[in-house]
Amino acid sequence: MKDLKHLYYFERLLEDADNDLVRQARQQGRKCIGSICYQIPEVLMELEGVFPVRLRAPRTGSIEMGTYYMTSLLCEYSRALLERAIEGGYQFLDCLIAPDGCTMINRCVENMELLKTMSGEGFFYKYLEVPMKADDNGLALYVSECRRKVLEPLAEKFGADISDAALRKAVEQHNRLCRVITEIGNFRKEKNPRITGYEFHILCMATYVCPKDMLLDKLEETLEEIKERKPDEKSPFRARVALVGSEIDDVDMVKLVEDSGALVVADRFCLGSLPGREEISLNDSEDVLTQICRHYMMASMCPRQMNMEKVNRRKAYVNEIAGEYGADGIIFEQMKFCDPWAYERMTGTHILREEYGYPVLSIDRPYAVGNSGQIRTRVQAFVESIEIKKLQGGDR
Amino acid sequence: MGKAVGSERLGSLYSGGKVRRRREWRGLGDTLYDYSRWLKIMLMLLKFMSKPANIKGFFRYRWMLNYLAVPMMIDRHTVGLRGNHLRIAHEEYDLVAEDVALLLTNAFRADKHCGNDREFSKKIVVLDENEMFAIMCGFPNLKSVSWETAAVYVSVLLRGHAVHHYLDVVQEMGLPGDVCPMPAAEAGVVIDDDMPVFGACAVQCNTTCDGSLLGNGILARRYEQEGIPVFQIAAPLRHTEEGVQEYAAQEIRNAIKFIEDCTGEKWSWEAYFENIKRFNEETRHRVGWMEMSRTDYPQVFGANLALYSETTYMAIAGRVPAFVEADRRITKLAEESFRRKEMLVPEYRHRAIIWGVQSQFYTDFLPWLQNCWGILPLVDMLSLVYLDQLSEDDPEQAIYDIARLYEEMIMRNRTHGGYEVLLDDLWRYCEEYNADMVILWEHIGCKALNGMHGMFEERAREHGIKLIWVNHDLMDMRVVPKQNLRDDVNRYMRSVLREEPLDPSLEVIDDAQSW
Repeated sequence: MKDLKHLYYFERLLEDADNDLVRQARQQGRKCIGSICYQIPEVLMELEGVFPVRLRAPRTGSIEMGTYYMTSLLCEYSRALLERAIEGGYQFLDCLIAPDGCTMINRCVENMELLKTMSGEGFFYKYLEVPMKADDNGLALYVSECRRKVLEPLAEKFGADISDAALRKAVEQHNRLCRVITEIGNFRKEKNPRITGYEFHILCMATYVCPKDMLLDKLEETLEEIKERKPDEKSPFRARVALVGSEIDDVDMVKLVEDSGALVVADRFCLGSLPGREEISLNDSEDVLTQICRHYMMASMCPRQMNMEKVNRRKAYVNEIAGEYGADGIIFEQMKFCDPWAYERMTGTHILREEYGYPVLSIDRPYAVGNSGQIRTRVQAFVESIEIKKLQGGDR
Repeated sequence: MGKAVGSERLGSLYSGGKVRRRREWRGLGDTLYDYSRWLKIMLMLLKFMSKPANIKGFFRYRWMLNYLAVPMMIDRHTVGLRGNHLRIAHEEYDLVAEDVALLLTNAFRADKHCGNDREFSKKIVVLDENEMFAIMCGFPNLKSVSWETAAVYVSVLLRGHAVHHYLDVVQEMGLPGDVCPMPAAEAGVVIDDDMPVFGACAVQCNTTCDGSLLGNGILARRYEQEGIPVFQIAAPLRHTEEGVQEYAAQEIRNAIKFIEDCTGEKWSWEAYFENIKRFNEETRHRVGWMEMSRTDYPQVFGANLALYSETTYMAIAGRVPAFVEADRRITKLAEESFRRKEMLVPEYRHRAIIWGVQSQFYTDFLPWLQNCWGILPLVDMLSLVYLDQLSEDDPEQAIYDIARLYEEMIMRNRTHGGYEVLLDDLWRYCEEYNADMVILWEHIGCKALNGMHGMFEERAREHGIKLIWVNHDLMDMRVVPKQNLRDDVNRYMRSVLREEPLDPSLEVIDDAQSW
């Protein structure tokens, strides 16, 4: 296939946390809100005058300092973020809003605070209690927390307009971007897709780490380009997989899977699009913030949501997207030392294999996979096993 | 060898096998007393085995073998004690043993694999091992039973190797070995089909950590397969904030309604307040013991305080009058010893706060600290829980009180709630208890504690506190054996403080196979 015109541009944006668009937006006087997890509703930080950036630590090398403060037993993502913060790599942020989500991220942000890693004047941290059950009580909590710890501080510190009208406008703009990403992502459903999982991952991830309005024109142009794009007559991939699991912001991960012969057709991981880039629908009869919070609470696929409807729903959702995107198998991945995804990977692997009948590759991985020979070998073997099943006339 | 404390080299008791070389000689009176309590425990075990359902349970469940080690467990925790201190320890451990025997009896009577008493089973609510049983204080006609406590929590207290098999099972299933072994072992019991099946419903809670929360999902799935409806209480994590209290209270209201719907029983405020009066008295006793620990003559501390507090605070919650009666006797004994300025070991060299998550397979590490090095384990993190008095007559306030207990259940009140309750509070307690040392358990599977590792070291330096890390893997002594825990302390005491042990025979002991 012909290369996408702006792919290199998007790749460049992912090389640094403090990328060109972040710098441009700050030069325009906009405030940069750091956030760490899906459960801080992104759209609330997309008000006039502010923009959110999901924290990553691209090009992570040594994480010695992060390891000293948090030991080698916490996930590398949390250690890499702390390392980068200690190095001064997040000085572009004006505040950091984190959920009291998984323990490791919570401790990571607390260490950043205790070590005074962000020196900006008026810099502040907020820790949100996010619902661990998707029910009415959880929603009431979520709304109250988002109001007290996201909206009100943004209004107080940065003068953001947090009225219903302003929130509706933010949702509208957010939806516009989501529509583009979803439309691009839908091409992955094709029999011989005209976009690879890697390309989609790059486009999608850029939307989490840049001011969205500054990306939109190039994304729309890319969408038009893809509509006209002709896939190779014979697909270079030997299997289609859904990549499911914990946080992936390392561009090499999807690349490695695809280099091993498996096209990533569905991205159900943190910083992926399923969920994350679906539209938020609003009605006129209910408070806007409540509707936004309900959307995030219901759409969330975080394993820390503990009610059984959610526990079961997470596996059913993987089944749905695997079916919709035509996946032959599922790669269930977990960042090493991540407790929530360790359990979810174990149960998910078992249930998707035994109850839904998918071939499942279950792997743990470091934060930065680089050119991991071990993972490559396992994916290659998985692809071969899927091919053999196909040859033998198995269902999947 | 005699009546006086420290008159015997305690290391000589270890044989390298499962049981010790001989019983400890404590002088005639104390030895006779100790032996009579040992006989009482043996009789209790015999009585337990006289029930057909219990015999079935004993042979049905692999983890029941651990209960043969009950007398040995009590011996381990009373080592070196004399006089009132020995009596205090027996008041505590013997009562806890009785309570666990009752728990097992109830479980096996209702269990479909053993007694299969269906009517009785309909009167049982299954709770987590690490959950506040206060939620049951208003249901006088219901029983609350935690099979996890029996299968995993107590089993490891009794025998360090107790759950290795279940850890292997769950890891074979694909769970990594770096998660906390406690929820992992509980999941292993379920996967291995070694879980007693009973109950009208189950109430779970997001207790101490991510592992515990996620492990519960595996249990809940099994409950549902067995037709046992499950409710999850999602207690807030940032429990020190006022903004989350209404949410927490609503979770409790919802849980009570769930239990009412599943069992047909109605919540009784009268019963609740009766229990809470006892709970408050238990708290007052505990606070009194802790106050003594701030002086030069602590009387109820270390493992005795930790294990007994866990039981009374979390699992009893005022529902069993025998505990408050024991508390009164303990207070009387402690006050008497305090007046006489009695000491547990011949010399107190260091006053330590015990922080972090204790090693479950080696809870008698604290007696070892005092006997070997003269380090007084004044108070531990798990005992520093919610110590305020609860309302004894206001139903609306009572809901908030239960919610507060759930938020501040043992361990959870420190592993959640921000660094203030884990990091900052430690140095406050060091000051309050006039401690010069912190023994910091580093449970290698506990992300909440490990995530503050560097800050603990920095703050200890700033406060001039001696900090000793003691590494362990909670329930898996294959990863870190008992001697390694002791060596963490031995190394520090010898190489940093240049001290000699009080009892050198305990520095290296062969207890790897010991019950």
